This record gives sequence, C-alpha cells and structure tokens, in this order.
Amino acid sequence: MEIPLSYYLLLGAILFAIGVVGTLTRRNAIVIFMCIELMLNSVNLSLIAFSAFLGEITGMVTVFFVMAVAAAEAAVGLAIVIALYRNKPTVNVDEINILKW
Amino acid sequence: MEIFGIGILSWVTFLPVLGMVIVLALPKERRDVIRWTSLAVAAVQVVLAVVLFLRFDRSFAGINTEAGMQFLEKGRWIDVSGVALVGRLHIEYLLGIDGISMVMVLLTALISFIAVISSWTIDKSVKGYFALLLLLDTGMMGVFVALDFFLFYVFWELMLLPMYFLIGVWGGPRREYAAIKFFLYTLLGSVLMLLAMIALYFSVSVYLDPAGGMHALSEAAAGIRTGWEKVHTFNMLAMMDPANYEAGSLLAGINTSWRYLAYIALFIGFAIKVPIFPFHTWLPDAHVEAPTPISVILAGVLLKMGTYGMLRISFPMFPDAMRHYAWELALLGVISMVYGALVAMAQTDFKKLIAYSSVSHMGIVVLGMSSMNTLGLTGAVFQMFNHGVITAMLFLVVGVIYDRAHTRGLNEFGGLMNQMPRYAGAMTVAFFAALGLPGLSGFISEMFSLFGAFQTFPILTAIGAVTIVLTAGYMLWVLQRVFLGALPDKWKGLTDMNGRETFMLAVLGAVVLFCGIYPAPILNLMTSSLNHLAAILAQVPSATLLSGM
Amino acid sequence: MASHMLKDAALFLPEIALTVTILAAIVADLIFRRVRAVVPGIVLAGLIATGFLVLGQQGSSVAIFSSMIAVDAFAVYFKLVILLAAVVVVVFSFGSAELQTGGRKLGEYYALLAAAVLGMMLMAGANNLLMMYLALELSSISSYLLSGYTREAADSSEASLKYVIYGALSSGLMLYGISILYGLTGSLDLATINHIVPVVISAGGPPLYGLLIAGILTLAGFGYKISAVPFHFWAPDVYEGAPITITAFLAVASKAGGFAMLIRFLKVTFFDATGVMAAAGTWEAVRGLRWVDLVAILSVLSMTVGNLTAIWQNNLKRLLAYSSIAHAGYMLMGVAVLNDEGIAAVMLYFVIYLFMNLGAFYAVMLIADKTGSEDIDDYKGLGSRAPFLAVALAIFLISLSGLPPTAGFIGKLYLFAALINKGWIWLAIVGALNSVIALYYYVRVIRNMFLRTDEQQSAPLSLSGMQMTMVLALLVPTLLFGLYFGPLVQLAQASVRIFGAP
Repeated sequence: MEIPLSYYLLLGAILFAIGVVGTLTRRNAIVIFMCIELMLNSVNLSLIAFSAFLGEITGMVTVFFVMAVAAAEAAVGLAIVIALYRNKPTVNVDEINILKW
Repeated sequence: MEIFGIGILSWVTFLPVLGMVIVLALPKERRDVIRWTSLAVAAVQVVLAVVLFLRFDRSFAGINTEAGMQFLEKGRWIDVSGVALVGRLHIEYLLGIDGISMVMVLLTALISFIAVISSWTIDKSVKGYFALLLLLDTGMMGVFVALDFFLFYVFWELMLLPMYFLIGVWGGPRREYAAIKFFLYTLLGSVLMLLAMIALYFSVSVYLDPAGGMHALSEAAAGIRTGWEKVHTFNMLAMMDPANYEAGSLLAGINTSWRYLAYIALFIGFAIKVPIFPFHTWLPDAHVEAPTPISVILAGVLLKMGTYGMLRISFPMFPDAMRHYAWELALLGVISMVYGALVAMAQTDFKKLIAYSSVSHMGIVVLGMSSMNTLGLTGAVFQMFNHGVITAMLFLVVGVIYDRAHTRGLNEFGGLMNQMPRYAGAMTVAFFAALGLPGLSGFISEMFSLFGAFQTFPILTAIGAVTIVLTAGYMLWVLQRVFLGALPDKWKGLTDMNGRETFMLAVLGAVVLFCGIYPAPILNLMTSSLNHLAAILAQVPSATLLSGM
Repeated sequence: MASHMLKDAALFLPEIALTVTILAAIVADLIFRRVRAVVPGIVLAGLIATGFLVLGQQGSSVAIFSSMIAVDAFAVYFKLVILLAAVVVVVFSFGSAELQTGGRKLGEYYALLAAAVLGMMLMAGANNLLMMYLALELSSISSYLLSGYTREAADSSEASLKYVIYGALSSGLMLYGISILYGLTGSLDLATINHIVPVVISAGGPPLYGLLIAGILTLAGFGYKISAVPFHFWAPDVYEGAPITITAFLAVASKAGGFAMLIRFLKVTFFDATGVMAAAGTWEAVRGLRWVDLVAILSVLSMTVGNLTAIWQNNLKRLLAYSSIAHAGYMLMGVAVLNDEGIAAVMLYFVIYLFMNLGAFYAVMLIADKTGSEDIDDYKGLGSRAPFLAVALAIFLISLSGLPPTAGFIGKLYLFAALINKGWIWLAIVGALNSVIALYYYVRVIRNMFLRTDEQQSAPLSLSGMQMTMVLALLVPTLLFGLYFGPLVQLAQASVRIFGAP
C-alpha cells in the first residue's frame, strides 16, 4: 500500500508549525535552535515527498544544500550563544534584554 | 541683458550665494567685515533690481507666453536621453519675469537689504547668521524668477532650512517649537505641491527640437519637423497651455476631479505659506520667536510666495478649477481677514498682534485674487507689495522697542510720545499705512482689492469690509496704549531711535508714502500682465460660479 | 558540457575573484599577524578588482550554470552598489576605534565581510530559488558573525543572537514557501515557474491558495533581508548592538542584495507575460489581490511603522535603523510599480541612499569614537564643537529626509514620479506624508547639534585629514547628485533590463 503525498505534506506542515511556534514561544536559546532545526527538516520532508511524487530530482538535491546550511547555521548560532554566555551566564532569552524598543 | 556673460536674473538670484561663500571664507572674528560684505551684496542686489525696474518693458504681458517674459534665460540643466518605456528627461534652467514677478523682485531686494541692516545687532555667531540669511535671500529671489516648476520647487524648499536655523538658533525662548512647527507645516504643504507637480509633468507634453527649443503640441499639429522629440516638461509656460495636455493623461480636460484634486493640493501648499485660515497657526509662533530681521523677511517676502504661487501656477494652469473654487477661495480670504483682525484685537503681545494683522491683510490679497478681474488682481498684487513694506516697518517698530525695553507687552507701555518722538513718528506712519489711511500705500491696494472683489462677490466683500473698521480699531488702540497716557517710571530711560533704525524706517516710510501718493510706476508694471491673467481666467466657462454671492 | 561550464565560468569571474580574495585574506591573516594593514589591504584590492571585473560584464544578458545565476545589466548595477558600499565599509572599519578595542586582530573580520559581499553579489544574480536561498544564507551567516564581532560588548553578542534567531526563522519560512512552490510547479527556476503558474492558476481551486501561501512565505524571507515591516523586528536591535561599521554595511549592502532578489523574483516569477491578466500586470494572488498590492501593503507598513517608531528613539544608531526600515518602505513603493520606471527609480534611490546613509553612519561613528556616545542628547552643542562634522551630518540627514537640493530629493522625486505615472496616487500621498513625519526626527538630531548648547563646554573634536576626506567623499555626491543627476538617471535607466523578464 502506498502512502499518499498528502500524508507527508501534512506531517511536514505539522512539524513546521511546531517549529515556528516553538521558535516564537520558547525562552531557552538552545531549544529555539532545536525548533529551527525542526522547521528546516520539515521542509526537507516536504521537498523529498514532492520530489518523489513529481519524479523530479531538484527537490532532493535541494535537501542536501538545506542540510549543509542548517549545520552551518546551527554552528554559528551555538557559537554566538557561547559568546553571549561568557558575558552573562544565561541562555534564557528573556534575560537577554539590553536592547529594547 | 547680461553682465559678464551671465544673465541679470541669474546675478540677482545667485549673488547672495556668492556673498555666502565669501562670508563663509572670512574668519569668524571679523564680524564687521562679515556684516559689511552682506550689506554690500544686498545693496548690489537692490541696484540690480532697480536696473531691472528701469529696463522693464511695461507693455509685455507675460504670464503664459515665453515671448511675453523679459530678461529670459534659458539653458539645458538635466537632459537624459530616453530608453525604452521611460522617455527622455529634460529639465530646463529657465528664468524670466513678467509684471507680477517684477514687483516681487523689487520687494525681495528691498526687504533683504533692510533685513541685513536690521541684523546689525545680532551678536551670536555672526558668520553663520549672515551666511544663512544670504542663502535664504537666494531661495526667495529664485522662487520669483523661476519659470520652470522643478527649479521653482528647488528654490521653494531651499528656503526652509535657513529659515529653520534662523528662527531656531537666533530666536526667542520658544524658538525650537516655533522653528519645527514652521518647518513641518511648510513641508507638509510642499510635498503635496510636489505630487501635483509630478502629475502636471506627466500630463503635459511638448516637442523638443535638437537645438533645445520647445514647441507646443498645437504647433506640432501643423507638422512635425525632423529631429523633434516628444517629451514631458516641467516648463510652467507649457503647463499653462491647455493644448499641451495629452488626451487621456491624468490632468487632461476641464473640470475633472483629478484637476480639482491637483488644484487643491497646490492650494494647500500655497495656503500654508500665505497663510490662509485654517492653515495659519504656525505664523504667530514663528513671528513671536523669530528675531526682528527674520520676522521682517518672513512677513515681508515669505508670505507673498504663497499668493505669488497661486497667481503664477494655480490660476493659469487650472483656470477651470480656480473658477470652480473661486467662491470658496474668497470665503477663506474673508474669514482670514475678519478672524485675523478679531484675534489681533485681543492680543497684548505686540508681535503677535502684528502677526495676526498679517493674516488679516493677506486675507485681503486672497479676496482680491479670487475676484478674477483686473481691478481685484491689481489690488491683490499691489497689496502684496504694500503689505510687504508696511509689515516690515511694523516689525522693525516692534524690534526697536523690544531692543530697549526687552518686553513686548502692549499694556506695559504708555506715554512714549514725548520720550521717543522720532519713534512715535515712524510708528504712526507704519500704523496708519497698515490701517489703510488715504494717502498711504495700503489704502490704494485695499480699495482696489475690495472694489474688484465686490464686482464678483458683493455679499462676501461687504462682510469682509468690516475688517477695515476692526483694523482701524486695534491699530489705533495700540497707538493709544503705547504713546498716550502716563509714562511708567521704568521707561524713563528709553532712548529714541538711533541713526540705523531711523534710516531703515525712513526708507520704508518713503516707499509707503510714495506709493500712496503716486502708485503709477508700480501699477504700470503689472497692468498688462494682470489684464492677460484676467483674460485667461475669463475664457473658461464655468457652470458653478456663484455670482450671486 | 565542459566548454559550457568554462564559458559560464568566464562570466562568473567576479565571484571567483572575490572567493580568491576571501581565501587570500584568511591565509594572509595567518602569516602576517603583526601588520595590521595587510588583510584590509588585500580585501580592499580584491573588492576593487572584483568591481572592475563586474564593470566588464556590462551589456551581457545571459543566465549561466544551467540558469542558476543571471548575468544582466540589473545584476551588474546592484553588484556595483554592493561593492561600492563594501569598499567604503572596509575603509570605515580600518579607522574604527570600536573594532580596535581589546587588541583584537581583525583578519577574520575582513574575510567575513568579503564573504558576506560574495553572498550579496550572488543574491543580485540569483535566478533560481535554490540559489536565492543559498546566497541569502551565505550573506546572513557571515552577517550574524560580523554583528557579534565585538564579543566582549554584551549588546553586540545579544544583537547577534537576536539576528541569528530571526534570520533562521525567516529563512525557514522562506524555504517552506519555496518547497510549496516547488511542489506546485515542479521547478525552482524562476522562468520555468512563470510558465507553469498560468497552468496552476487556470486550474483554479486550492492550488491558488497554495500559491498565495507559498508567495507570502517566500516574501517573508525577502522582507527579512530588506527589513520591511512586519519582518523587521531584528533590525533595530541588530543595528544598535552591532559595530557601527557593520550596521552601515547591513543597512546598505544587505538591503541592496535583498531588493535585487525581491525585484527579480517578482518581476520574473509573477509577471504576466502571457497577457492573461494584462490589465493587472502581475498575477493575482487570489481574486482581486495582486502580488504588487501585497508589496504596496508592506511598503505602507514599513514607512509608517518605521517613521513613527523612529520619533521615539534616543540612540542615533537605533534611530537610523528605524529610518532605514522606513527607507525600505519608500523603495518598496517603486517595487510595487514594478515597471521599468519603478525599478529604475528604486535603483537610482539605492545609489543615493548609499552615499547619504553611509555618510550618516560614518559621521555617527566618528562622533561615537570621540565622545563615546550615540545618544542624541550627547549631540548637544556639536555644531560648535565639530562644525564640519555637524554640518556634514546635517546634510546627510536632510538628504535622507528628501529635501532639495540634496540627492535624497531626486531619489524621492523619481519614486513618486513612477507611482503617479502608473496611477498609484494613494500610495504616493502616503509616501509624501511619511516624508514629513520623517523630517521631524531627523531635525531632532539637527536641533540638538545646532540649537542646543552643551552645558559641560566640552573640548572641540578634531578630525584627521583622512577622516575629513572620507566625509567629503560621501558628502560631495550627496550634494552634487541633487543638482546634477542626469548621468545617474541614465545609468539606472540603462540597467533595468532583467534577464528572463518580459
């Protein structure tokens, strides 16, 4: 039995929504980065599903690029968290509040 | 007419910038050198204006034809050849004057000269002050001689910044508030003007020959020669020719709502400058806080730009909209007259009183303009000139007493007649001129305006005429409060006017007296132009003109 | 195939040169640890060389590498703007006291700067959604690091963290939009999508809304890059916290890349070449709502929110951040027009914006280096302490507010002209009113400099000859282009040709 495309897309959309909501609501910088990873991977899932469904390879190729970029982004993000931690020992974004409106 | 290969209008306009550069190059300790340099520049400008006056041909009508303009200067400023879909951009450096501008050029030169003399007492950063004053001078003069809308707009905006600093740095206690209010109000008006200008630009087309000459669409209809290229233009004269509005463009046709909208946008831009009620609230603040010379310039020249803009731009370009809204314009004029006079009556601050009297007197100009006949228009333009001179006198008069007493409270004075006889003489002339005493210049222009307006809007004018009584009332009341009664002890030490002050007031007083007795030389300047303007306005059929009012 | 690649690589020469520059900078940083001027010198030379190579591409209009990247007049123009901004920023950085603190060596800084420039140049040429995403990420990731470069300053690393979170979120949204677009059309190539979209639209039904969602999500990515409201939340914090050289760089170069990409995306992907909706010009997203209408809404929001918030700012860097949000709004007006005239207006505005905005940031940097403050209240009396600098800053601010006779006026004039000619009167009126609001906060700075005096009677600030030259180099164009703008207009109008656009 073949799993229809919409199932993949729905799963991708749910994961993406969880990622977006998490990024916007969580207060721990590390968790926020995990949520961002979730977003990117849900995109990867949709891309692969589309690619397989359309029988076209561009989508899969894109996934490799996205994975590489996600890794770079995470590395940079965590490096920044570490730099910040040296100034102020916290990873709670509510306490990172020198800059305001 | 050229001097050293440069046209006289360019000289008269850009001479102050030259002076500014010299002033900026001088060390700031050499205060007197800076003052005398500025004075020399202003004096040369007066001489040039007088030369223009003498050489001006009274028979040329001007207004909407290039042939009717005098001392024309034309040059290519910006020329970008067209690419696909965008078209060629061609902006001219176009200067020229007709009867209306000639009067304003005279006024500007005279007032700037007086303002420089009056600035002698400024002690705070003299160098910056005179540099800005001269830059302001160029902006004012440029507005009156530019015949290209783009150039006009650049000059119009060029004045804002110097004026902001002159009020903001050298003004009174609430100078910051007054300066920013002036700036924002004027800018609000001018951005609307900018949009109307762009709309005009895209609606008007002319043909351009390779030599740079412009040919109206009506001329091209007879046959397009080789090398002619169709372009949009900022040329004001081209914008005044209804045949140049391409069918289907935004502002084509007559009595369309887009035309009304553009007219209103221009109107707001100019009305803020005049200022016409309800756009006047910046004026009292600006006047009260500005130093005396700047008040003189503000009332003497800057306010005239609003009404000049209407005569030069709004009326000839939108005669249909002007006729459509003539009654509303007259109404606003009357409201300004009466309201200004009533509020002036209630003032105890000398300067505020004169500021509101300016609103009232500029209302007369607006009423005269809305009449659409030669008599009213002549009255309006002559009133612009007279009001410029008279209000300059009034502000100088205030400046004299403020320099001595450091207060402008009218109720604090009294009995100065014997203490300061020369001052009393000058002030009496100024006030009588302002209230329209026969024999002084104000009388003639007010009568012309009111008679002209009466032919078109009898009832409104009758209501407006009440202002004359009100004006006489508050002006005489001021004289009474300042000069009659007992002299308070604290003013026993006041000295009479010094030579410099006497000179300024004497010059202006002489002009007022001369124009009151023998106004022909000034009136001659503008008659043919205003006849022509009235003819343009009369050509347009209008269904909605409420002649009964 | 190989010969194709080689031919394409010849057209990729500027980017290759810049890549070599980045590598050379990193190596040189390892070798010449003591000599401060080596790395900036290499990067500067590399940028200038790249600029000349880009100049050599004028007139070509092709797509290279299987149409991943377009080399056309439009891309060349934006690349030049980006490179010019980068050159100026490198010179700024060399003289910046802020970056020098803590005895840090700046080799990586310049290498990262060059990497960000490479990303932005790729943005200007990207002709494929994947390429757009990669280019955007390259410039973003370099920018995250640059904005946190002064590690020991808490606000700098905080800015960096906020930047990385917002950036990752927006690029995630954009990527999701791209994946939907890919699902609907089966391609990431802009021109191919343009051909397939009519089929999708004529099919009607749910895919139309899919297209709307995809389009909006993709716009989120562009909106973040150009800091348009409502994707702007990162901008004020990052602009305030980042070293001022980077703030200037982000405000100009990054925005140029973002705008180039946005215009190309809208123009190529959503332009109605088949004439199905000839009246509208671009595809409707849903019935009655065109894509350009969405852009117009973004534009109004950006101008209004940017300007109204700027009024309340006391930190000049933050004020300029909001002002740059408002400027994104002004330029979006031109994008909403989306014809040659509108795009030419945006391109013209960019060059002018480059000079006046970099000038303003440079003046702020010089003042901050000497007084240690970016607070507007500390600008009191600056007119007498540093007359030249204060007058220059005043002119830059006046130009930003768009008053003649400065270049800023010409930029605004062209935007308004494009709008009015296309019938966007209401948008023009909103833009005009916004420039009045904007004047208020620019004048606040000018007021403090000239109208107020400094109670402490601080010593005058002096400028070195080099700094003076730099200010003049930015000031002269700001004034000159206000009075004589013919050549600039000519250049912008000649560069509006976009490869693949109708």
